[in-house]
Amino acid sequence: MSSDFYTNSILPHSGIIIKICRAYTDTQEDFEDYYQEVCLQIWKSKDRFREESKWSTWVYRLALNCCLTLIKKKKNNRQNVASDFEQKEIGEENRVFENESLNLLYAAIRKLSEIDRAIILLYLEEKPYEIIADIIGTSRNNIAVRVTRIKERLKILLDGKIN
Amino acid sequence: MEKSIETIWKEGFVKDDKLIAPKVNDLYNQKSIDIVSKFKRMYKINVIGIVLFAFIILPVSFLVKIPYLGIMMFLLFNLIIIVNRKTIHKLNKIDNSLNSYEYLLSFKGWTDELIAVNTKFSRFLYPYMFLTMFFGFWCGPIGGDIPGEAVVKGFVAEFPNTPMVFGFPLIFLGGMIFAMLFLALVGGRIGKWDFNLGYGRIMRRLKTMIKDMEELKQ
Repeated sequence: MSSDFYTNSILPHSGIIIKICRAYTDTQEDFEDYYQEVCLQIWKSKDRFREESKWSTWVYRLALNCCLTLIKKKKNNRQNVASDFEQKEIGEENRVFENESLNLLYAAIRKLSEIDRAIILLYLEEKPYEIIADIIGTSRNNIAVRVTRIKERLKILLDGKIN
Repeated sequence: MEKSIETIWKEGFVKDDKLIAPKVNDLYNQKSIDIVSKFKRMYKINVIGIVLFAFIILPVSFLVKIPYLGIMMFLLFNLIIIVNRKTIHKLNKIDNSLNSYEYLLSFKGWTDELIAVNTKFSRFLYPYMFLTMFFGFWCGPIGGDIPGEAVVKGFVAEFPNTPMVFGFPLIFLGGMIFAMLFLALVGGRIGKWDFNLGYGRIMRRLKTMIKDMEELKQ
């Protein structure tokens, strides 16, 4: 990967990549692995970008798909400790942000299903429903309904301070 | 009033240095370790399989009254085990404190050496296996009747003018030599095919990773 490509095409979108990777990982080590894998996949797949969408949308899509694949692999690899992973409370490792509310919000997002995480991340990044629907591969209405439900679930989780 | 999730999100990321991208210089580290450990695991299972097979075939060959075949196969498998133990020893010597690229290159060097040894070895292995099977069935049980003699007698009775060499019909000997030469000739290829059957997928992944890393280094 040339440093030019990284600096010009990936780094401007690193914020969203980081946000997505954080939502799918619960340790710093995993986060860095996911981030690197996403960057690598963007670089490897760059020739497949056909300018049918914005570069940023394409990066979102790729980052989400990559995280979903990695989380699946990871789940398969550690089925035996899955319950431990699921039940982990917000520990020091997860308090990566200075803002405590944001740490809590992330902990709540991690409680959602993989697809719901993707939807809410895109929603919070103020992506229009049409774009989210396009990225996820469903209808705009479906996304609108889903966002409302996810927000309700997040509210319940946050009110109960996650657990 | 409690903040909405949208507000938490927006405010949370203002001035937060946690959005600084991590360094991308450690790519492939975990993958490299994974691919090599996977290969090691498969290779060790393979060697254990050969050991078990060697110790099963010996008593079984006595039971089914082809002990010569069993003994020769047992010796052959032991030789394979000795060769493999030496190659595993070399594999364990690869320094895993090297960076991922050098580590994978060293591993690739080791697999190339393994393939070369395997190819050379296969040129002798398959003719030897053929010979073992031939004589195993030919000689039959220790101290008992020799089934091969009955075959020769029957053949000579059918073709009385057949030329004989050391008590063998020339055509048998010719056929055996031809088969052994043929196996010696294609043994290397069979060895490579056999290796690819077991490790082909992992070797392709290894090559792709090295290629990617070479591009990354550019």
